[in-house]
Amino acid sequence: MMAVSKKQARALVIFSGGIVLVFGGGQVFHHVFASNRQEPVAAGAAAGPAAPAPEPATLHPVHYRLPSGAPRVSTGTTDPGGQPVAVACSTCHTTTKPNFQTHSGAQLVQFHQGLNYVHGNLTCLSCHNDQDYNSLHLANHQRVEFTDVMQLCAQCHGHQWESYQHGAHGGMNGHWDLTRGARTRNICTNCHDPHAPKFPLVQPIFPPRDRISVPLPGHQLQETTSLKPATSTSPPHHGTP
Amino acid sequence: MSSNGPTGKEGNGGTDGGGGGCGKSDCGCVSRRTVMKGVGATLGTAAFARAIAPLTEWAANISADEFLQRHYKELSLVDLNIVLRRLEKETKDDYGAEVTISDPKPQEGVKFGYALNLSVCNGCRKCAEACHIENNHDRPSHQSYIRVFEMQKGTMDMEQGNVNYDKPVPQPDKFYMPVQCQQCEHPPCVDVCPVEATWKEPDGIVVVDYNWCIGCRYCEAACPYHARRFNWTKPEIPKEEINPDQGYLSNRIRPQGTMEKCTFCLHRTRNGRLPACLEACPTGARVFGNLLDPKSEIRWVLEHKRVFILKEDLGLKPQFFYFFDS
Amino acid sequence: MSDLPPTSPVVPRPFSWRSFGRFLGNAALESLDGGKVFYVWMICLSAVFLVGANAWAVQVRDGMALTNMSDHVSWGLYIANFTFLVGLAAGGVMMVIPAYLYHDEEMHDIVIIGELLAIAAIIMSLMFVVCDLGRPDRFWHLLPPFGRLNFPVSMLSWDVIVLNGYLFINAYICAYLLYTRYLGLTPNPRWYVPFVFLSIIWAISIHTVTAFLYCGLGGRPFWNTALLAPRFLASAFVSGPAFIVLAIQVIRQAVGRHFGDGPIRTLVNIMRITILVNLLMVVSEVFTEFYTGGAHTSSGRYLYFGLHGHTELVPWIWCSVGLVIVAAGLLLSPSVFTNPWVLNTACVLAFIGIWIEKGMGLIIPGFVPSTLHEIVEYRPSAIEWKVTAGIWALGLILYTLFIKIAAGIFLNRTKLQALPDIQPAPAPAETPSISATS
Repeated sequence: MMAVSKKQARALVIFSGGIVLVFGGGQVFHHVFASNRQEPVAAGAAAGPAAPAPEPATLHPVHYRLPSGAPRVSTGTTDPGGQPVAVACSTCHTTTKPNFQTHSGAQLVQFHQGLNYVHGNLTCLSCHNDQDYNSLHLANHQRVEFTDVMQLCAQCHGHQWESYQHGAHGGMNGHWDLTRGARTRNICTNCHDPHAPKFPLVQPIFPPRDRISVPLPGHQLQETTSLKPATSTSPPHHGTP
Repeated sequence: MSSNGPTGKEGNGGTDGGGGGCGKSDCGCVSRRTVMKGVGATLGTAAFARAIAPLTEWAANISADEFLQRHYKELSLVDLNIVLRRLEKETKDDYGAEVTISDPKPQEGVKFGYALNLSVCNGCRKCAEACHIENNHDRPSHQSYIRVFEMQKGTMDMEQGNVNYDKPVPQPDKFYMPVQCQQCEHPPCVDVCPVEATWKEPDGIVVVDYNWCIGCRYCEAACPYHARRFNWTKPEIPKEEINPDQGYLSNRIRPQGTMEKCTFCLHRTRNGRLPACLEACPTGARVFGNLLDPKSEIRWVLEHKRVFILKEDLGLKPQFFYFFDS
Repeated sequence: MSDLPPTSPVVPRPFSWRSFGRFLGNAALESLDGGKVFYVWMICLSAVFLVGANAWAVQVRDGMALTNMSDHVSWGLYIANFTFLVGLAAGGVMMVIPAYLYHDEEMHDIVIIGELLAIAAIIMSLMFVVCDLGRPDRFWHLLPPFGRLNFPVSMLSWDVIVLNGYLFINAYICAYLLYTRYLGLTPNPRWYVPFVFLSIIWAISIHTVTAFLYCGLGGRPFWNTALLAPRFLASAFVSGPAFIVLAIQVIRQAVGRHFGDGPIRTLVNIMRITILVNLLMVVSEVFTEFYTGGAHTSSGRYLYFGLHGHTELVPWIWCSVGLVIVAAGLLLSPSVFTNPWVLNTACVLAFIGIWIEKGMGLIIPGFVPSTLHEIVEYRPSAIEWKVTAGIWALGLILYTLFIKIAAGIFLNRTKLQALPDIQPAPAPAETPSISATS
């Protein structure tokens, strides 16, 4: 009883208020009134194709988080302007003789010392191009730019590459529905260090709390928003106190 | 808190009444007895009013419009917009945050499916954290719709699993299995609800009308996947952490005493976006898409990977799948 | 209309709102009059009730986080008591069956004791459900046409219907019997016997439906057994008669009359059978659980022996098993008919034993381990104990008042006096519901 009369009264108020707002040009209320007669129409989702999209729909692009080009190596010095000086790989490697046997960071005597290198039985020059150190090469010695590194990975990691091509491997952001928006995808080296591709150990985010009734001292959410690689010796930095 | 105060008082007053009543022997007894009864009744009423005083504080926070709000499916578009604006205002009043509450509708030709690659999930719980933030969960309770189980390699026995792990992951002898709402085709939680406060939408998402739920928690008992959560208290979120992009049926801040659950982030996914847990996953273990689109990623996974369904024997036909890389 | 004087009981008199109003008024006055013991008893109960009311109000305001329930154990002491009390209400009908199905005349006279118990127990069980709701303000969502009752799919909607139906049937029968007695008439069987038979069927249904609430859940193997409903009924037909046997003796003391030896004998004979049937069912459940083994039995293992070092329920259930076995032994011994101490001990032990078995022993292990095999234990919080005690206190208050009214009328203390013809009949009051007398 009461609900009905209350509702009617409210509807009346809304109706009169709505007219005022329409004259005022309120877009939301305009939308409401326009779709008032034919009932089940999308309310909040004003945009977007509701019907199955026509086949040649314009698809938004998929962006890949590619490197900007060949890496540059820091020299540890700064220029007169105070900027760190970085040089291309070829700066040194054009004058050094390539060593086809090197397959561990410990074997390096000048640069790259202490490089953590765990990647099967490959040597450095299995991937790096001894003809042009600013690029890579495939197993058949075909030159590959750093930006096309996934071709190189795919030679050995075919299963992963197949899954990747079908969106079943690798993180992504943006839209599942490319008719409605773009998508950004990681490439192999965004997540896997090419020199040590095994995913590192990480410290997990906060565990769940199941006993709501038990008070927790200092109950703010842990500031662990960045996924930091954890060394195996580091103690767990949180948990239920 | 002050539960003993009124009661003790009433007890004293009442005992006096009893004593007075039994001390009667002359003919004036009737009136005296009546007086004592009156005093007892007055004291009793006063004590009762004081005992239930917290209810009035609580009721003061419930507006008439909120109390009388109709079921989601009975709201006309006009009513719905009024409700959305009212909820925005309530969020502003209660939490101090400016939010936008919309109500995206299911798309035709879309049925959502989710698959999770157990071969690569490393148990970092980033998905659970993303859910926590995206869905405006209660901060103190670390609430999230996702529970990640650290499972013993070589067995699917969940009794050997552990959700409270805190060592760096992945541990060599373990694999990790996040569990969230499986959006069943035959959801038992929907069947048991006595007031139709929860239902399955055409795009496969099981939703809750947080303003219709009476909080009996029968759905929580019925769900075999531990997918439902109850708001045991009013969610506590700092103003600046509130996600302002909210959906009526999904991540708006839930009222105290109602059920909530994973909605595949429908305020995002119905606008074509990926769910928050997928975007947060650093390993790319999660695959989301339209089950009705034969060219979708999710369909490729279902057709090419070794897929299994959690508790398939219950016959609930989930739209959430687990798979392994071969 | 009701112009006949009360001193002519042979002439059938039509129902009149005026005399019914006087009946309610007299009954209310009668129920509040009593001796010292009565007042002390009522004041103590009121005090406990107020504690409970306050605890509930605080719980509603601050949220159910004040209970020790969690997303794992989402039902606790409240639903445990609800389940038990539905059984108690159904058990009340165990006096009706001998009285009306087997024409036990002596039982006939005091069958109202059982029906009043059913009313009080149903009111209590409904209160437990309301206290378990996160949003009691939205209770109206259950009530068509404004609400949306999910009938017939949700078993809880069935439960809402059968519980309220049972409440109204029993309230009607009791009100009719007391009212006719009050008028000095003999009750007309046409007006209540059909309802009595309905209430027998209905009593079975309330407990069956309540069992179906649990055993229909495929995700909870501990409950998902066809034996649950029969087990509920068997245990209800122990706890109900046990309470009535105790109640009869208390009433005998209170009204200073000796009655009911025959009915007590009948009830004990019923309990002798039902308690053994109940034990048999427990044994078959335990056998099935433990002989089969496997993951589905972990709740059973948790309940009886503890699981992975979690043993919260083990003392409860063994306590219950012990109490029921001792009660069964006492009930089966011949001295139960001669020695009131044996009888009363047996009834108290059986009552408490069943309370644990149907409550904590049935509801909690359904949630432990959880559906994802996590173990989060549950122990009721202070708030939950307070609310529970408060509802029990209110139930006892109501039952005491009902019994006092009934006793006053049956012992001819409360009778319709000549109606003074001052005003026309008052406006139609509400239908005869028991709430009007409380």
